[in-house]
Parts: sequence; structure tokens; C-alpha cells
Amino acid sequence: MTTTKPTARKLTDLLDPQFMARLDALDVLSRKILLGKMQGERRSKRRGQSVEFADHRAYVAGDDLRFVDWNIYGRLDQLFLKLFLEEQDLTVHVLADMSASMGIGQPSKDLFVKRLTAALGYISLVNNNRLTVTLFADGVRTRLANVRGRSYLPQMAEMLLTTECDGLSDFEKTCQDVTAARIGSGVTIVISDFLFKQGYESALRRLLGGRYDLYVIQVLSPQEIAPELAGDLKLLDTEDADMAEITVSTALLKYYQRNLAAYCNELSEFCTQRGAVYVRANSADSIESLVLNYLRRVQLLR
Amino acid sequence: MEWLTPLMGLYAAAVALPLLLLLYFLKLKRQEVVVSSTLLWKRAVQDLQVNAPFQRLRRNLLLLLQLLALAAVLIALAGPVLAWKGGPGQRYVVLIDRSASMNATDIAPSRLGAAKEQAKAFVASLRSGSALSLREGSDLAMVIAFDEHAKVMCSFTSDRRQLLAALDAIEPGDDQSRLAEAVTVARAFAQSPGVEGNIRSAEEPARLVLFSDGRIQDPETVVVAADEIVFHRIGAAQDNVAITAMNARRSYEQPEQVEIFAALANYGAEPVTRDVHLAVDSNVCAVRSVTVPACTPDANNVSFKPGQTAVSFSLTHGRAGVLEVRQLGSDPLPGDDAAWSILAPPKRLSVLLVTKGNPVLESALAACPLARLDPCSPAGFEALDPAVFAVQQRYDVVVLDNHVPARLPPCRYLVFGAPPNGIDVNSPRELENQVIVDWRAQHPVLQYVNLTNLFAAKSRRLELPRDAEVLAEFNESPALALLRRQGNTYLLAGFDVLQSNWPFEPGFILFCYNALSFLGAQVGTGGRHDLAVGEPITLENVPAETVLTLVRPDASREELSPGPGGSVRFPGTQRVGVYAVQMPQQPQRWYAVNLLDADESRIEPRDEIQFSSVTVAAEDRVLQRANVPLWPVLVLAALVLVCLEWLAYNLRVRI
Repeated sequence: MTTTKPTARKLTDLLDPQFMARLDALDVLSRKILLGKMQGERRSKRRGQSVEFADHRAYVAGDDLRFVDWNIYGRLDQLFLKLFLEEQDLTVHVLADMSASMGIGQPSKDLFVKRLTAALGYISLVNNNRLTVTLFADGVRTRLANVRGRSYLPQMAEMLLTTECDGLSDFEKTCQDVTAARIGSGVTIVISDFLFKQGYESALRRLLGGRYDLYVIQVLSPQEIAPELAGDLKLLDTEDADMAEITVSTALLKYYQRNLAAYCNELSEFCTQRGAVYVRANSADSIESLVLNYLRRVQLLR
Repeated sequence: MEWLTPLMGLYAAAVALPLLLLLYFLKLKRQEVVVSSTLLWKRAVQDLQVNAPFQRLRRNLLLLLQLLALAAVLIALAGPVLAWKGGPGQRYVVLIDRSASMNATDIAPSRLGAAKEQAKAFVASLRSGSALSLREGSDLAMVIAFDEHAKVMCSFTSDRRQLLAALDAIEPGDDQSRLAEAVTVARAFAQSPGVEGNIRSAEEPARLVLFSDGRIQDPETVVVAADEIVFHRIGAAQDNVAITAMNARRSYEQPEQVEIFAALANYGAEPVTRDVHLAVDSNVCAVRSVTVPACTPDANNVSFKPGQTAVSFSLTHGRAGVLEVRQLGSDPLPGDDAAWSILAPPKRLSVLLVTKGNPVLESALAACPLARLDPCSPAGFEALDPAVFAVQQRYDVVVLDNHVPARLPPCRYLVFGAPPNGIDVNSPRELENQVIVDWRAQHPVLQYVNLTNLFAAKSRRLELPRDAEVLAEFNESPALALLRRQGNTYLLAGFDVLQSNWPFEPGFILFCYNALSFLGAQVGTGGRHDLAVGEPITLENVPAETVLTLVRPDASREELSPGPGGSVRFPGTQRVGVYAVQMPQQPQRWYAVNLLDADESRIEPRDEIQFSSVTVAAEDRVLQRANVPLWPVLVLAALVLVCLEWLAYNLRVRI
């Protein structure tokens, strides 16, 4: 509870303090839990108590001292926390795409993704939700798994700030790994441009299973939404170095827009049909309005 | 269809066609752009290609259009012309009239200019043979310009450039037009193998294409077939006022008094009133207003008479001068609006009499109005240095009385008795008792001289060269003869005066007077000064290595140098006007060249020419180019094709 200051200092590289102050008022909302479990139990989590013991884990600075297992401390002279399995306990799982394609765009998509991840992580950690942040490219690149509490904010910021966009994207493999390690119930938020050549359907299907709400946030750069190209060009795919020779014409641009719209619509429909929520974002938009307005409207946050 | 430059087209095609195909195979150098994913772009391109109908066809269409455009340009480079005429190649002789009447400006720029333009159009319409020509033959043509004489500008050739250059080189003249010589020359050329050594040369007659106003002096002497000659009439107007005669002479009693006479002719149908001025050395002295009656028209070209009137001026002028009579109205033919005459200064003669003593001759000569009469013995004459004699020019006439000099200084000689040596006259023997049988009473020397009673007891037999002019004949030999040798004029009398009864005849005095006047008229002039167009300017006794400068009426200059014998001859008096000859250390000499030709001044173009056998009417239609060059059409087609290609390309991009 006393470690807010160092956290804010690191995290300010991604989020500015006023925005963080406003985020303090938000919490992650799980429709699955609200619908499936008792409302009262969700509230009971707020009091920080539970009855069903689940596990122990090593104490880290900033953990609530009330959950330290003093018996074990007496026996082993080491601080361990008692972890309780709570139905109300919400797991927030953020999957952020850090493949090379995210580095393209002006403003770049990766910064947008990092800031959005940071905002969502901040909300989760502040509200004591269990947070797992997975940065992926052609598999899981880094992961901050099952952390809870403000004390992990610097760690999360560190991880986000040190990871660069690189490599191919293999969404399928990532999802395989993620679902294997996923426990509990809660919210899975996938942030990516979803421009996967091998498709996103089977991967998203994996994430849909279990007791998790799925939020799909597609981030596109303004250049992808409305390309400003002209002339005879050779387009180079930043990930697999694939080439496409085009002669930009009004007709081609029209077809591109149509394809983009169709692609996004497919993704959106795919999500809606399976109870997932699809959100499309422009990397030029402000994080603040997305988080404070749009994500609240789709009831990811409250 | 004919090809003007087929090889050029082939060369260009050999380079350009593979180049175009190569360019088509070359890939476009595209700019590289890194994008997050080519996924959507590939789909878009795919969609574009799928949805654009006739995609492959369209790409080929572009190539096809480019090829067509290129082909059009290449064919244009090869210079195709569409020749409407068929048949084997023909030979033509282009006859251009450049006589005085062709200088009329009733059609711009002048009749000659128009004739040249029409002839050029005709030459351009000739078919040229080439390697790719569909027929084996090409037309040949030659160009002859004619006035009084024919001048071959270009012999038979199919090279149009050469023909056009020959046409351009034709210069106007002020001479009469005579066709006979031109036709003769044309036929001579047509019968000899041409420049191109063509077998056809002698086979078929060449066709004559005449560009003229029809004012030809000698059509009746020209024999042509009806289909041999084509006459293109040039000219429109007939109105012209001309000076057709001019004469200026000094009064005998008062040599400073000059009488000038001129005749004006009007060829128009209306009487005209014109101012006529007289100028001496370009200073106008007098102006007369003269009304010239209208011409007497005729229907059949037989009784045509221009309206004529005479004008005379009287002038006191004690020096030499150039007289000009000019009518001041404007008409199409400026060449006959003026006439010039060279006025010699009044002069009395100096005579050297070489004699052993002949009182009869002395007294006869003394009776003539002479400036000086110097008697001289034969020895004294032999002592004279001929060079000094020639330079000093102290004597105008030398009278040799029974003396055969060793040397003959340049002068004019009146010889009695044995003829001098070295003038191609032999006198092998003496004759006796000769009487006159015939004489030329019209000759100036024998004017008013009656020789009926002339009898010579002794006379030399004169054997004259062919060019000698016999003035009077005895029964066995010429009695009086005129001969010109090496610039000298000799009037030969083959007998001694004292051996005849001539001194008792009144005609003797007249003869002496006439002979001295005649010989004296050629003093210092070296010939006549009033010339007709085309008559040569001749100067005699010009010292060797003297360079003379001739100034034409248009102020252009030409250097002349004397030939052997000291004579200078300049034949190029093709234009009317005053010519000047400048000699170092001598006064300038003037020569007037006048048209003064009533026939040439009649400029009304003829609709038909009556040759000796046929009457040829003028071609009605204006000469048209038979060759239609196709290159402008092809270039236009190439432009349209390029536009179409651009359109096709844009449509492809837009869909």
C-alpha cells in the first residue's frame, strides 16, 4: 500500500499521472463471474477475506501482511503468503502482440498497445485482481504471470518498456501456451492488429473456452486504415519479407478499403457470434478516451 | 504508293521495334515501402485483377497500341506518297519563259516567279523511282530557261532536289522570247542518252511542258506534235504603257543642240495620259504629259495595233551624258517604262594624212569640218612609236595614200592604193581600166555618193577575207571594202585617187566626208553605246592586263579583263538599264541597254499558241500536285493511337 510512488515513477513513461488517477476509480468487470456466481461473493473479495485455501507463495514487498502465514513463519522463519481460491477472484489476462508488424505506423501501434496494456494492468493490479500479461510474437516472448497488487506495477512497466517489437507472429502457438497456463476465471484481453496470415480463428477459439470473457482489441495504424500511397510500389512485409507489387490507383485503394472493412467485419462477427467483444482502435486515437469511455461502454471496465 | 526514304524507315524500324519490345519486357523499377502486412494489399490486388475484365487482353492492348503508333511513325519516316498517276515513267522538258514580258507583275510576285512556282509543283508531282516502288520506272525531267537563247538549267534527271535547284537558279531577263532554239536543244537532249543512261532515252519523245505567257516571237518556226507540248499560261493583265523607240542626236550645225525622240505605245483598251520625263545624268530636265490612245483590238491576233504617240525633247547639252526617257505611270511591266541613250560629246576629228604629196586628197580632206589635218610623209609615219601613238590618241583617223606601213598603230584607217600588210588582204597584181559595176548606196560611207562614172586607170586587185564588207565593186575586183582587224577599222580603196577620175566627181568630197564621219563615229568608243538587250558590250584596244570594272544597272559589279588582241566583250546585258565600264586612268564609259520591243511590251497572255502545224491551247486547270504525301496522316494516326493508349492505361488503373 505504501509503494505507489516508485510505481508511478516508472509507469509514467507510459501513462501520465492524471490518467492514472482517473484509472484508480475503475475496475475490471467479468460478465462470466457476474452471471455465473453470486454477486455477494464478488463483493466479499473486496474485504480481502476468504475461506477456501488454495496455495502458498513467497512474500514480496508490498503484499498485504494480513495474509502472511505466521505459522509457517514460526516454523521455517520465512515469510509466505496464504493464497485463497476465491470464486470472486478475477483473473485478468492481457495478451499483447509484440511482433514486428506492430512496430509499423505513425503513431506506432506498439506504443499504443503498451500503453493500453499498462492501463489495463494498472487497473487490474490496483484492484487486486490476478493479472497475467503475456507479450507474444511467434510464441510467448515475456510473461508476467499471476501477479496481484500495486507492487507489481514497476515489474509490469519494466517488462513493457524493455520489450521491442520483433519477429514473426504465431498467434496459434501463443494461444496454445496461454490456455495451457491459464487458471481460474476472468477476462482475457487480446490486443493485436490481427493481421495474421495464418488466420486468427482457431487461436481465438482456444481462448474462448473456459471461464473467461474474451475481449478482442484490434489496433490499426492510420496508415493501415487509410493508406496514403501513390505510384508504382513494391510493398515489403516487415515480418516475413513477403513482397507485393502494386500500382496505386483509386481502384486499388478502393479495393483495399473494402478488404480492410471486410476483414474487420469478419473478426467482429467471429467475436460477436462467440460471445466475445470486439473493439477496433486507431493507434492515433487517445488511450484515455478508449479506456475511459469505450471500454466502459463495452463493460470491460466499470 | 511510293516511298521517298524507304531505307531511313527501315533503319529506324530496325532500332525502334526491338527497343519497344525490350522496354515492354523490362520491369518497372518500383519504390520499396515497408508495411505491417501485405495480407490486405495482396487481396486488394487480387480483387482488382479478378474484377477488371479482359485483364490480360488489356495489357496486350497497350502493347498493340504502342506498336501501332510506332509503326505509324516509322512508316511516316519512310516518306510514303500516294501517286495517283499510273503507267511507266515519262520524260519531261520543263520550258520556262524568262523573256521581258515575264517580268510583268500582274500576278505576284511576277510572271516568272509564278511560272517557277507552277513548275516546282509540276516537278514535285513527278514520280520518283525507288527500291520499294511498285513500278520500275520513274519520271525524268530537264529544265530549260529561254528568252532569245535557250539555257539548259538541268539535264534529264529524276532528282527532284536538283530540278528544284535548277528552277530556283533561273534569273529574269529582258530579252525577246524565242522558242525554236529551246525546242531544238530539248530534242537534242532527249535523243542523247541521259545522265541516268536509261534505255528509254531515245525510245519515246520527251513531253514539253511550257510555262509562258504565250508571247513568243517565233511560234510559226516551231514544229511540234499536238500531244507533245503542254502550255501553261501565266499572266492575267494586258494593260501596259511602253516606250518603244528612242533616239537622241546632235544637230549638225549646232553640235551642242540635242534632239530626243521617243515613241510611247499603249496596249490597254483605254486611252491613258502619262507624264514622260527626260533626265540627263539622272537630273530631270523636262516633263511632258502625253495622252496615248487606246489599242486597236483584234479578234484573231492579226491586226492588233497598240495606241502610239510620239514625244520629242530638245536640249542644249555640250557634254557627254546619259539620257533617260521615262513614263511615270505604273504598269505591270517596269522594264519598258524607260529608255536610255548615251550622248557622245560633240567632237571634231583629227586626221593624219600620210602621203608623198597628194593635193587632191589634201584639199578634199581640208574641206571636211575637221579639228586638225596633219600631213605627214611616209618616213615620218614610220618614225612614230606605235605605243606612244596608241596612248596619246592624237588622231582619230589615219589616211594612207599609197603607202604600205611596216607597223600599224591602233587607229582607224582610210587606205588608198595598196592595202597594208597583216590584215589578211592580198593584192597580187594590178588591174587596168576598171569601171564600177555595183555599190552599196545605203551604206553610210556611200550616202549620197554616185559612183556611176568612176573609172580607174590602174587599180590593185583586192583579195578580201570573208568577213570583209564590200562597198563597191569594179568589174574585176572589189573597189571599196570595209574590214575590221584587231580592233582597227580599215576602209580600203584599191586604187590611187590620182589614177582615177574620182577627184573630178562631186562624190569624192562626199565620200571623204562620209568616210571620215563613219570612221570617226567609232572614235574612242570601241563600239556602239546604245544596245538592245542581249547585245554584247565590246571594247577594243584595251591595253593588256588592264582590269575593267563593269557596273550593272542594279549596281552589282564584275571585273573584266581583255582577251588577246585587246578586245573586251561582255555578253551579259540581259537586263535593261545603263551599264558603266570603268577603266583605270580613263573616263567612265556608259552603255544603254534598251528593250524597245513592241512585241515584248505587249503582255496580254495568249490563250493559245499557233505553232507551224498545230495550235496548242493553254491548259485550263491549275497544275495540281499528283503526289499526296502521307506522312501528316500517319503522324496524326500515331498521335491518336498514343492518346488511345493513354486512355486505355487510365481506364485500367481506374477500374
